[in-house]
Amino acid sequence: MKLDPRTKLFLAIVANSVILSAPPVYSVLMFAVPAILLLFEKKWKFVLAFFSLYLAAVLGFEHLKTMDVGRVGTLAVSTMMIVSRMMPITIVLYYVMQTTKANEFMAGMSRMHVPNKVTIPLTVMIRFFPTVFDESRAIGNAMKMRGIRLFSLQTLKNPFAILEYRLIPLLVSLTKIGDELSVAASTRGLAPETRRTCIVPVGFHAQDLIVFVYCLIVAACFVIASRAKQSIFDIISAIFC
Amino acid sequence: MNISIKNVSFSYTDCIDDAVLKDVNLQIESGECVVLAGESGSGKTTISKLINGLIPLYQSGTMAGDVLLGDKNTADMTLAEISRHVGSVFQNPRSQFFNIDTDSEIAFGCENLGMDPEEIRERVNRVVKEIHIEHLAGRNIFHLSGGEKQKIACASVNATDPDIFVLDEPSANLDLKTIADLAEIIKLWKSRGKTVVVVEHRLHYLRDVADRIVYVKDGRIDCEWTPAELEEKGPEYAASLGLRSLRLPSVVAALEERAQSIAETITFRNLTFSYQKKFPILDIPELSLPKGKITALLGHNGAGKSTLAQLVCGLRGSWSQKRAARKLGTYLIMQDVNHQLFTESVLDEVLLGMKPKDESAALEILDSLNLKSYAEKHPMALSGGQKQRVAIASGVSSNRDLIVFDEPTSGLDYRQMLAVSATLKALANRGKTLFVITHDPELVLNCCHHVIRMDHGRIVEQYSL
Amino acid sequence: MPNVKTTGKKSSNTLVRDLVNVGIFAALYIVLAFLSSSVGYIPALIVFSTGSIALVTSIPLFLFFSKIERSILCCLIFCGFFGTAMFVMGQGILMLSISLLVGLLAGVALKVFGKGFAGLFSANIILCLMSSSMMLPLWTSTEEYLEYTRTMCDAGYVAKLAELSQSPWPLVAIYAFGILGAVVGGFIARRVMKKHFERIGLAK
Repeated sequence: MKLDPRTKLFLAIVANSVILSAPPVYSVLMFAVPAILLLFEKKWKFVLAFFSLYLAAVLGFEHLKTMDVGRVGTLAVSTMMIVSRMMPITIVLYYVMQTTKANEFMAGMSRMHVPNKVTIPLTVMIRFFPTVFDESRAIGNAMKMRGIRLFSLQTLKNPFAILEYRLIPLLVSLTKIGDELSVAASTRGLAPETRRTCIVPVGFHAQDLIVFVYCLIVAACFVIASRAKQSIFDIISAIFC
Repeated sequence: MNISIKNVSFSYTDCIDDAVLKDVNLQIESGECVVLAGESGSGKTTISKLINGLIPLYQSGTMAGDVLLGDKNTADMTLAEISRHVGSVFQNPRSQFFNIDTDSEIAFGCENLGMDPEEIRERVNRVVKEIHIEHLAGRNIFHLSGGEKQKIACASVNATDPDIFVLDEPSANLDLKTIADLAEIIKLWKSRGKTVVVVEHRLHYLRDVADRIVYVKDGRIDCEWTPAELEEKGPEYAASLGLRSLRLPSVVAALEERAQSIAETITFRNLTFSYQKKFPILDIPELSLPKGKITALLGHNGAGKSTLAQLVCGLRGSWSQKRAARKLGTYLIMQDVNHQLFTESVLDEVLLGMKPKDESAALEILDSLNLKSYAEKHPMALSGGQKQRVAIASGVSSNRDLIVFDEPTSGLDYRQMLAVSATLKALANRGKTLFVITHDPELVLNCCHHVIRMDHGRIVEQYSL
Repeated sequence: MPNVKTTGKKSSNTLVRDLVNVGIFAALYIVLAFLSSSVGYIPALIVFSTGSIALVTSIPLFLFFSKIERSILCCLIFCGFFGTAMFVMGQGILMLSISLLVGLLAGVALKVFGKGFAGLFSANIILCLMSSSMMLPLWTSTEEYLEYTRTMCDAGYVAKLAELSQSPWPLVAIYAFGILGAVVGGFIARRVMKKHFERIGLAK
């Protein structure tokens, strides 16, 4: 069940806008799409984990929000609320990231006439997020070994030093990797002027149309309902009864 | 396609005064396999950059002379054009790949050149069969070992089918088995009539493949030999030039059975680690390291050596494991030294781990490692070998008893390897226990007292030397 | 030496280097901005969040500015990514336009003032306007922004925000702190550049 990267992008944009501004019903409608698609990709564990966490957060929040649980409790409750709101976005982004390859993404972009000058840095950025975390972790390990800790006398005396210790090796490391990557890509012919081809077939199929139309319908329902300031169910029942 | 380097002199922008290349003339015929050998800093990598066009098209500096590929001057071409004829593989596997999955990475060069997707798929399949990497197809590159990544890099340049292959110290981070596979790949290319240029100071795997070995010294081409000629001159000759030997010494041949028990040991128990219950990465019930001696840890890529090092040093594992490591006092000198240099001067770096801070003691440590004259220099501005010594110096100043080294000599030439070996011996004399993870048999034979071999997370053999 | 020429000049061959730098520093910027803006989750400190972002990101930005050859293009794309991310997150077209404008101005500043301290400093300040504008919709389209945050945080926080949106002064404070953060960050970054990167040879 492969989707064209452009469809995935459309799905991500619509899903994010809807999830962030609409009542939870719409969130469920939207994130059901990537959940189903992920099941097609056999990522059972993630979907299961996601649903468990989501249900826990939503139920927890609904149950506790009216109770008075004191300062700490309020923090926990707000966390649950943030989690239950942000999680749908997570699954959408996870789906897009996991199922789209770099060259597929670049091909989709160039079909939309986005210039290579934009897609190349975008691809590099996406490819570099894990690298930033890996390098950061390695540096953190090295700091641990030297006995540089976040909460110690040393840090209080000179708070900027911690920033320095964390950032400088990271910047040096990233710069070095970046330079080597540029060289490796340039010597293999990467040039923004040339139109790239892609080994992964990119193009629209039936499933793209289905997802596309579905997103439009959900978005339209939301817009109509919010304009009319009524619940969508009322409108539907008004039309059909 | 012939390569002609005519009267080329070059210097990098940042150091105009020392010209890196001085009047280099080199002619490489089509189908030859040439090794550019020399010590670190001799200019051999710079010569390889002339061939793949990075000089003059990418690297900033000043250049005189011409480089011709076939009959075209590289200065008149673009990097993309040159990449049709020249494929390059570099030293560091982890920073060469653009994509996240292997198939796309192998297709990367072809896609850049705008080839037809059907043809690209055919080429990718062909290349995967040729290099025997079927088991690597369709995988996440981030999850591969260094050797596997390097094979993907070779596959990627192979797919575009250039006439010339340029490899810059490709064996630097690889274990012996992968280096042998690399030699097979080069043989394959040669059998196709391709020109192969390899920059190396590790010559053993190229003995049967290279047509000639060109020795570069101080930015000039000094002399050249065929592998047979160089071998005839004996191992001391190669060593005097700073090159690693042509015949790899066998650690196995030098071993004796361990009959006696060792006097004092540092013992670790229950070194186990796994991501999932079913697949333990490490399963070592007991590990004994002789105190005050140097123990080498050998094993193929993926045998679990780095995980063991991290467990022993308390960077991974359960709370109790971490606490035990901290109580013992361990220090890890990482493979990528850039991760553990934090300050603005070498002296500060050594003082950082010291409690209490004693400047004269720090200077003494630097002196013992031949770093006293660099005390005020920025650690990141030093060469690879020097950075490593700075990391070792801060390890010494932290006053811990067990120091673990992760690949201290990968990519170092003969002289630098001897320097590291001397440093290790000096540390052992100070009473430190050293645990060295390495692929380098020459280092092991030079300074290690004991050897432990690992495979698939278990200890397989232990010997004394 | 006869026939001497400079190598590695700005050309189509070096474009990839610039583009890769944009990608790397954009990734780092987003991570750092996200981490340092978490200060703003404590309602009393909302005004300071922009300052902390500007401060922390000054160091990598200085390095970025000194490395890129094509200032206007790279800054434009860099800011474009940030703006598009905001747009996709539902912040509207205003943020995207501001980001592109900021990118253009920053690139121009670098071209005009050069890569010395003046250029880096001014580009850094211009860039902090982009991250400081993250809360601008609270004043320009208050209702929508409050709706948006209502989905993310609890009622108490939203009430605080509603309070703030009553007068323009908090907005002024946000920008002021952002610029202050960029100024202080700029001086720190210059010290860091001198102390480290210039001596390593990563920056000129």
